[in-house]
Amino acid sequence: MSDQDRDNPRREFLRKSLTLIPVVTLASTGLGSSVLQAAPETAPAAAAPLPAPAGVNAYQPSFFTAEEWAFINAAVAQLIPNDAQGPGALEAGVPEYIDRQMNTPYAAGALWYMQGPFNADAAPEMGWQSKLVPKDIYRLGIAATDQWAKALNGKTFAEQDSATRDDLLKQLEAGKPQFDAVPAKIFFNLLLQNTKEGFFCDPIHGGNKGMVGWTMIGFPGARADFMDWVERNEQYPFPAVSIRGERA
Amino acid sequence: MKNFVIATLALLGSGALHAAEVDQTLIKQGEYLARAGDCVACHTGKGGKPFAGGLPMETPIGTIYSTNITPDKTGLGDYSFDDFDQAVRHGVAKNGDTLYPAMPYPSYARVSEADMKALYAYFMHGVEPVAQDNKASDIPWPLSMRWPLMGWRWLFAPKVEDYKATSDDPVIERGAYLVEGLGHCGACHTPRALTMQEKSLSAADGSEFLAGSAPLEGWIAKSLRGDHKDGLGSWSEEQLVQFLKTGRSDRSAVFGGMSDVVTHSMQYMSDGDLTAIARYLKSLPANDPNDQPHQYDEKVAKALWNGDDSHRGASVYIDNCAACHRTDGHGYTRVFPALAGNPVLQTDDATSLIHIVLKGGTLPATHTAPSTFTMPGFAWRLSDQEVADVVSFIRGSWGNKGAPVSAKDVAGLRTDDMKTTSGDDLGQVTGHN
Amino acid sequence: MATVMKKVDAVIVGFGWTGAIMAKELTEAGLNVLALERGPMQDTYPDGNYPQVIDELTYSVRKKLFQDISKETVTIRHSVNDVALPNRQLGAFLPGNGVGGAGLHWSGVHFRVDPIELRMRSHYEERYGKSFIPKDMTIQDFGVSYEELEPFFDFAEKVFGTSGQAWTVKGQLVGQGKGGNPYAPDRSNPFPLEAQKNTVSAQLFGKAAGEVGYKPYNLPSANTSGPYTNPYGAQMGPCNFCGFCSGYVCYMYSKASPNVNILPALKPLPNFELRPNSHVLRVNLDSTKTKATGVTYIDGQGREIEQPADLVILGAFQLHNVRLMLLSGIGKPYDPISGEGVVGRNFAYQNMATIKAFFDKDTHTNNFIGAGGNGVAIDDFNADNFDHGPHGFVGGSPMWVNQAGSRPIAGTSNPPGTPTWGSAWKRATADYYTHQVSMDAHGAHQSYRGNYLDLDPVYRDAYGLPLLRMTFDWQENDIKMNRFMVEKMGKIAEAMGPKAIAVVGKKVGEHFNTAAYQTTHLNGGAIMGTDPKTSALNRYLQSWDVHNVFVPGASAFPQGLGYNPTGLVAALTYWSAKAIREQYLKNPGPLVQA
Repeated sequence: MSDQDRDNPRREFLRKSLTLIPVVTLASTGLGSSVLQAAPETAPAAAAPLPAPAGVNAYQPSFFTAEEWAFINAAVAQLIPNDAQGPGALEAGVPEYIDRQMNTPYAAGALWYMQGPFNADAAPEMGWQSKLVPKDIYRLGIAATDQWAKALNGKTFAEQDSATRDDLLKQLEAGKPQFDAVPAKIFFNLLLQNTKEGFFCDPIHGGNKGMVGWTMIGFPGARADFMDWVERNEQYPFPAVSIRGERA
Repeated sequence: MKNFVIATLALLGSGALHAAEVDQTLIKQGEYLARAGDCVACHTGKGGKPFAGGLPMETPIGTIYSTNITPDKTGLGDYSFDDFDQAVRHGVAKNGDTLYPAMPYPSYARVSEADMKALYAYFMHGVEPVAQDNKASDIPWPLSMRWPLMGWRWLFAPKVEDYKATSDDPVIERGAYLVEGLGHCGACHTPRALTMQEKSLSAADGSEFLAGSAPLEGWIAKSLRGDHKDGLGSWSEEQLVQFLKTGRSDRSAVFGGMSDVVTHSMQYMSDGDLTAIARYLKSLPANDPNDQPHQYDEKVAKALWNGDDSHRGASVYIDNCAACHRTDGHGYTRVFPALAGNPVLQTDDATSLIHIVLKGGTLPATHTAPSTFTMPGFAWRLSDQEVADVVSFIRGSWGNKGAPVSAKDVAGLRTDDMKTTSGDDLGQVTGHN
Repeated sequence: MATVMKKVDAVIVGFGWTGAIMAKELTEAGLNVLALERGPMQDTYPDGNYPQVIDELTYSVRKKLFQDISKETVTIRHSVNDVALPNRQLGAFLPGNGVGGAGLHWSGVHFRVDPIELRMRSHYEERYGKSFIPKDMTIQDFGVSYEELEPFFDFAEKVFGTSGQAWTVKGQLVGQGKGGNPYAPDRSNPFPLEAQKNTVSAQLFGKAAGEVGYKPYNLPSANTSGPYTNPYGAQMGPCNFCGFCSGYVCYMYSKASPNVNILPALKPLPNFELRPNSHVLRVNLDSTKTKATGVTYIDGQGREIEQPADLVILGAFQLHNVRLMLLSGIGKPYDPISGEGVVGRNFAYQNMATIKAFFDKDTHTNNFIGAGGNGVAIDDFNADNFDHGPHGFVGGSPMWVNQAGSRPIAGTSNPPGTPTWGSAWKRATADYYTHQVSMDAHGAHQSYRGNYLDLDPVYRDAYGLPLLRMTFDWQENDIKMNRFMVEKMGKIAEAMGPKAIAVVGKKVGEHFNTAAYQTTHLNGGAIMGTDPKTSALNRYLQSWDVHNVFVPGASAFPQGLGYNPTGLVAALTYWSAKAIREQYLKNPGPLVQA
C-alpha cells in the first residue's frame, strides 16, 4: 500500500467516525483496511449500519473515551503500520488489547512498588521513579498530545495526516514537547511498549488477531515443542498456533 | 500405622477386646490382604473416614451406597467370623439379605479360609471404628426388593470352596489366586452378560475372562489377555510388575479407574505377589487367532519430521500432543507414555482414548515413584471434530490398528466439565499470584 | 499478640533450592522440619499447564513468577553520597517468589566452580602479587576448597539430572572431541545425562570459536537431554527446547526445580511440612543474642505467628537472607567507612556483555527454539585461564551462546541503527527475528569496599519494616574487564561472518542501570569465610554469632563467580547440611571456634 493510499481522505473520515461509531472499528480481525476501503461503496455515510463482516468483532472500549480511542487507533497505526510487510497494529487489534490491559492490576500500578517519597526527576538508570501509573499516563498523555497537536493547526492528533502524525510521534519519542502532567518520553515509551505487546501477545489477551504479528516474523506461538528442529538449519514449517488452539 | 495404634488404644479403652490378645501378625496379614482386595476403595466415601462406607455407586437401576465395615456397631461390630464370611464369600448380609453384586463376592468365593481369618482379625482389631449409619439405596420399589438378587446369586455365584490349584507353577498358581480372588480384576476387566454377571470367573472358565469390558464411568477396562493389539501381549512380566507397583512402566502410565487400584492396592503388594500376578496374566493366551506383534510403521514420523501435517488429525497432533508423545509416537521412557503400539489405544471401543484427550489425567505418586505427571485436558481447546481427528490419527499411526472414530463418538462423552470454551477466562493477567 | 505454634526441630525460611535441599537432608536426619515460604504454592500442574503457560505477556512481561515488589523491594544508590531510590519495577534482576523460588523460574545453567575462584585473594596474591589487587577490592577466600566440595557437586548434579560432557573423570581424559571443557576441574563421575543437542546458533558459535583458536564445550545444563530419575526417585521429562524456560514453569518437567526434583520426595514424609503464604519478618533470638528461638511470620490471613524452633535455616534469596539478618540483629552490620562489621559486606553482582550477530535469510537460527541451560561456551578467558598480568584487571568470564528462546514481545532485536517503530522496524524485525545469534560474556564480578547492603532509612515494606538498601556501582576494574571481554568475543562474532553486529558492553564511567535486565545472580552480604571479622558465616554457613542459624545461598559468596551460581549454591548447601547432620546435631554449638 502506498503512502497515498494510506492518506485516503475517505479513510481519514472513517477513522474519525470510528470514535463515534465503534461498530466499524478497525480493531478487528485481519480484514481491516480492505473492508474500510470498500465501505464507502457499500454503505454511504449516514446509511444503515454496515453489516459486520464474518468474524469481525466490534470492540467497545471500556476504559478509553471516544477521543482517547481515536488517538489510540491513530497512534498505533503509525507505530506499526499496515504496509508491504503485512497487517499492522490496527489489524492485530492492538487498541482492543491496550483497552483491556487498562482493566488489569498492571495498569493501576499494582505490580510496582508505589510508596513515596517519589523523585520523578531521577536519572534514567535509576529506573521508574514516577508516581504515575499506566492509566494516568494514557489519560494525561493523550490529552496533552492532543492539546499540543491542536496548538499546531487546530487538529487533534488523530485528525492529522499520516506524515504529521509520524512527526509528532518522533518528537514525543525525543521528549521534545514539555508537558506539565507527564513527560512526553514516558508516555511515548509506554505507548510503544504496549503497542508491541498487543502486536505480539497471544490472541487470548485481545491483540495479535489472526496471529498476524507472529506470522510476520515466523514465531510459532504456543506449540513450544522443537525436539525435531533443534539442530536443523532450516525454516520451521508449521504455522503459528495460539493458546486457544487456533492456527494462523 | 498411626491409625492402627489409635484404633487399638480406642478398643482397649472401650474394653471391647484386648488387642494384645489378638495375633498382631494375623492383623498385619489381614491388612495386606485388605489392600490386595482394595476394600478401602469402595468402602470409603469421598472425604470420609476409611472403611466407613457411603460411597455412591451408579447401577442401571439406581444408586447404591457402600457399607460401613469398621468394627463399630453401625458397621461390622457385632459380626462373628461366620457373619463376616457369609457376607464376603457368599454374598449374604447378617440380616439375610443378598448383597448387590457390586460387592465382588463371586470372586471372593475363591479366598482361602485362612486368609478370611486374617481379614476378619484386621477388620475387627486393625481398623478404627467409625460410627456411621449405612445409607439406604436410591433404588425405587419394586426394583429395591432384594429377593431377586438371591436368584442371581444362586445362578451366578460360584460355590465357596478352598481354592484348588490348576497350574503346576506355584508362582502362576499364586497369581491366579490373587487375580481371580481378592484382586477381583475380573469385576472390571471381564465383560458382563446382560444379567450383569461376569461372563467368566477364571482362566479355566473361558476365553472371556479378563477380555476387557464395555465402558464403565467413561473408561474401558482393557483386555488383560495375550493379544498384542489390545491386550498384554506386548508387555513383559517385568513391565507389568513395574506398572502395578509404580503406576508406570517404560512405555505406559496408569490412568482412569486403574489409578486408584495402583494407589490403594497394587503398590502395597510384595514383589513376589506382583510377579505372581504378572506371570499369571502373561499366561493367558491371546483371543484373536490372527494376533500379531505390533509392527512399527515410520511413515507418519517421517512425514512430520519433514513438516508435512496434511494427514487427517496430524495438525491437531502436532499442536497438542507431540510435545510429550513425540512425532514418532514413542513418548519418553517412564515419563510420557508411548502411543505407538500401545494396546490401550487400540481397543475396539475408543472411549478411553477419547476420554483422556478430553479430560487429561494425573499419574499418581506411589511410594517407590513419588513423581506425578499431569496430562492436561484438551476438552476446552478442541472441538468434537478435532478430537475425533486426532484420536483417529493416533489409532491409525505408527503401525497402530485401531479404527477411526467420529465427532459423534466424542460428543457423547463430553460431560459438563468437558466443554469447549472460548479460553477467555484463561487470559486474565493478574500479575503476581 | 502473636499466636505461638508448636515447636519444630528445624524451621526453614524460603522454599527454593536451598530450602528444599535442607528440608530433604534434615528430614533424612530424623528432624521435624517446617518450611515457610512467603509466596503461594505452585507446581508444574497447574502453574505450568500446557499450553496456557506458553504466554509471554503473562510470564516474561508481567513477570508472574517473580517477587511481588509492590510489597517489598530494595532501594538502590550508586554511592554513599546519593539518596537511595526504590527499585519500583523489576528490572536489572528478578528474584523469585512462591514454592520453588527462583529455582522454579531459573534457566538451568548448572556449573560447578573454577577452583581458583574459591581462593580468589590467595590465588591472585600468589600469582600476581598483593599489589595487583586494587586497594578497595575486598575479594577473599571462601574457606572451602574444590576438593572438599567435589562430592557435593557430584550429588547435586545427580539430584538435578544435569546434562553435560565431562573432560576428566578421576583423572582419566574422557571429553576430548566430545564437547568436554579442558579447563574444567576433575570430577568423580560423569554427568548424569549426556550433553543436550546444540542449536544452530550454538553450532555457529562453536565453529567460529574453534577457528579463532579457542576451545568450545557444551554448557552443563539442568535441562534434561533425556528422561531421568534422580536419587530421590523423582523423575524428569526430556527438554524439548520449547523456548519458554527462564521466567516460566517448565511444562515438560525437564528443567530441574525444587518442585520437580525434591518436593515429590518430601510430600509423603510425616516429619515435613511446607507452609506457603508465610512471610517471615525476623528470626527471634534469646536474651544472650547468641541463640535463635525460632521465627515470627505473617500468615496468609495476615496473622502474626511465632514459630519456635531449635534450628533456623535462612534459605531465602540472597537479598532476603541479608535483610533478615539485619532485621533480626544477627551479626554486626557492615560499615563502609570504617570497613568494620560483616552483614551487608562484599555485595557483588555479575559483569555481563552481549553481542548479537545478524545474518542473511539462509542462516536459520530459529531463535524461538531454546533451552535455558543449553549452549556452547569457551572458558579461555574465564577465571585465571589466561595471564591477567598485562591486562591489569581481576576476574574472568566464560563466553557462550545460550539460546534460551527469544519471544516476540521482549526478544526481538535488530541491527544497530534500525528505528524502533514504523515500517523500517517492521521490515527489520521480520527479516532478522529467526536469523541472528546472541552471545554473552558472563563475567565474574568482584567485591569492593563501597558496594554493600544495609537497611534503608526512608522506605518501608508492606509490613512497616525498612527495605534493604543496595549501595552499588561499577568500578574501574569491572569496566576494564568488560571491555576486554567484548573485544575477545567480538572476534568470535566476526568469525561467524554476519551481516551486522550489535554490541552491549560497558563504557568508561558507566553507572549501574537498575532498569535494564542483566542477571539475577546477586552475591554476598552474608559471606562465608575463615575470620569472623571479615565474614558473617563460618565455612559451614553457620552464623559466627548465632550458632543455630545457618544461611545457605549465594549470599555466602565473597564475590561473584564467572560461572552461574546455582551449582555452587547447591553444593555448599549439601556441604553445610552434612556438617549439621554429622557434627552440629550431636553437639550443638559453633562448628568453628572464632
